[in-house]
Amino acid sequence: MKQPLFALLVKRKLGFGANRAAKRRILFNLLLITLVVSALVFAQMFVVSMSKGIADKYALLGNGHLQVHTTEPVDFFPYSNVIDVQKVGQSYALIYSPSANKMVRLKGVGDSYFSELRSEQLTMGEPYVQSESNLPQILLSTTLASTLDVQIGDRVALMLVSQSSIRPQLCIVQNLYDSGYQELDANLVFSDYELMARLFQGKEETYYELLVEGDALEQTKRELKADGYAVTSWDEENYAVATNLNTSRQAVLGVMVAVAILCGYFISELSRELVEDDKYKIAMLTLLGATKRIIRRSYFSTVMVVTLVSVLLGTLLGMAFALNLSPLLSSIAARSIPSLAYYLLDFSIVIPWLDILIITLVLVGVSVISVLFSLRRVAMIEPISCAHFD
Amino acid sequence: MMKSAEVLRLEQVFKSFRATLRGGPPIQILEGIDLSLERSTSIAITGNSGSGKSTLLQISAGLMQCDSGRVWFEEQEISALGDDKLSQLRSHSMGFIFQNSLLLDDFTALENVQIPSMIAGKSEKQAKNLAMEMLTTVGMQDRLHHTSDQLSGGERQRVAIARALVNNPSVIFADEPTGSLDEQNASLVEDLLFSLVQQQQVALMLITHNYSFAQRCDVVYHLHDRKVEVSS
Repeated sequence: MKQPLFALLVKRKLGFGANRAAKRRILFNLLLITLVVSALVFAQMFVVSMSKGIADKYALLGNGHLQVHTTEPVDFFPYSNVIDVQKVGQSYALIYSPSANKMVRLKGVGDSYFSELRSEQLTMGEPYVQSESNLPQILLSTTLASTLDVQIGDRVALMLVSQSSIRPQLCIVQNLYDSGYQELDANLVFSDYELMARLFQGKEETYYELLVEGDALEQTKRELKADGYAVTSWDEENYAVATNLNTSRQAVLGVMVAVAILCGYFISELSRELVEDDKYKIAMLTLLGATKRIIRRSYFSTVMVVTLVSVLLGTLLGMAFALNLSPLLSSIAARSIPSLAYYLLDFSIVIPWLDILIITLVLVGVSVISVLFSLRRVAMIEPISCAHFD
Repeated sequence: MMKSAEVLRLEQVFKSFRATLRGGPPIQILEGIDLSLERSTSIAITGNSGSGKSTLLQISAGLMQCDSGRVWFEEQEISALGDDKLSQLRSHSMGFIFQNSLLLDDFTALENVQIPSMIAGKSEKQAKNLAMEMLTTVGMQDRLHHTSDQLSGGERQRVAIARALVNNPSVIFADEPTGSLDEQNASLVEDLLFSLVQQQQVALMLITHNYSFAQRCDVVYHLHDRKVEVSS
């Protein structure tokens, strides 16, 4: 390998010491690939973060990461990675206001339920200050309050459906919460656990909601099952939602990979263009004794340097965009734009390293193959073609 | 087989081209050419346009295959060599000068002369020193960092001569090297070429229309009616 020659050829092809047109071409391609990669990375981060945001809402507010279906008092903290345990009761009821009614899922929770972890998923209004009334208090979402046209401190009636009777129970709206995702909170009402147990008299479903750390859900679930507990996870309880999120994520990743493949193919156009424009130079170098191998390698390396730098810059740019998106999304969410009402806008951005790795590796892999394929034409350029004889 | 002093030998070389893309009888260009070139000697090939002079040069330098016959270069049969061997041979033993200097326009005069040495495996520093030396020999020491478009036709041709000679080849193939120059520059380039060829003891195969230029060579061949004959 003639390293100095190789380095000189690559350096010049990359635009170092080259004319303006050559520099412009490299910069244009670098910019184009960078923008495509940044868009792919940004879109993937956005979709994955939103999916995770929705999943977190369901796990933290809807059902907990794991549900252990037992009424016996158990200490779950010795199990791996368990960070929160709440005894919860749930049932269904019709809620009435003077102007509307709705079937809701009523969830009875203890005082410690809205821990810091769960509170991060909510925005709460100013709570109702206790008056002389001793009516039970419930927590509605802003969405449900809007449907029922009630405010904090208003009275609503809960029609409790039990086996023996249907009887109304007047309650006061103690506060309004907003999870940021209307699909979840439009029919979720929180009440005190003791109140629920008293009202439903054992007809409610009682279980323990467990929050677990990180990705330990499956491990903890296995441990609990091994000890004979009936355990379900949040995705089993919300099967349709979890499946949709998973399918959407995979479909979006598929689209991103397809775009990455197209981008990889586009990169081979750069090498084709370079070779086409440099036919005479390639012929001249061959005439001077350079092997086709070293010429091909110099073009391949040039295109790959452009590709790798673009992929790196694009990834960093996409990540920078995505990581700075939260304040913008929060401000959009705060404006309660009706057309965006059913989208989760307030969520934390996560970096899906594996997805990003797949997208970038596919792009680089396809470009390697297509560039190598396109550089076969170097072999077809005869040294004689550089000379214009009589 | 080649004699010891020979660097190039053509034996019964035939070459024809297809008349059209759609076929038709081939056009015979060269017929039974026998030619030899010894070390430190020069030959000129003259002939009318289209007589096959350049084809003869390209076959001699292994840039084109002949239909039949044999071409020997430094005791190796060119047609039997693979791409890598041919590249090596071109790099170490051949120099080319064409009508248009054909410099690499991305590179400076210095780099244009440096590249053949780097191809031949010399370090960047060695190649640079050799290139500077060679460019000084052809009087281009003040134009080292000028690119092709910043040089005149005569200057470009001088750089091309330096590039052809930098690896101290056995043979220089020159195809109308003064064809695109004015009389004064043409004369300068002719003088330079012959003085360097003699100085470095290189064999020269010169293709030219210019009879007085051709006359400066040791032997002048005239290509006529597909055959070469020694010019009187």
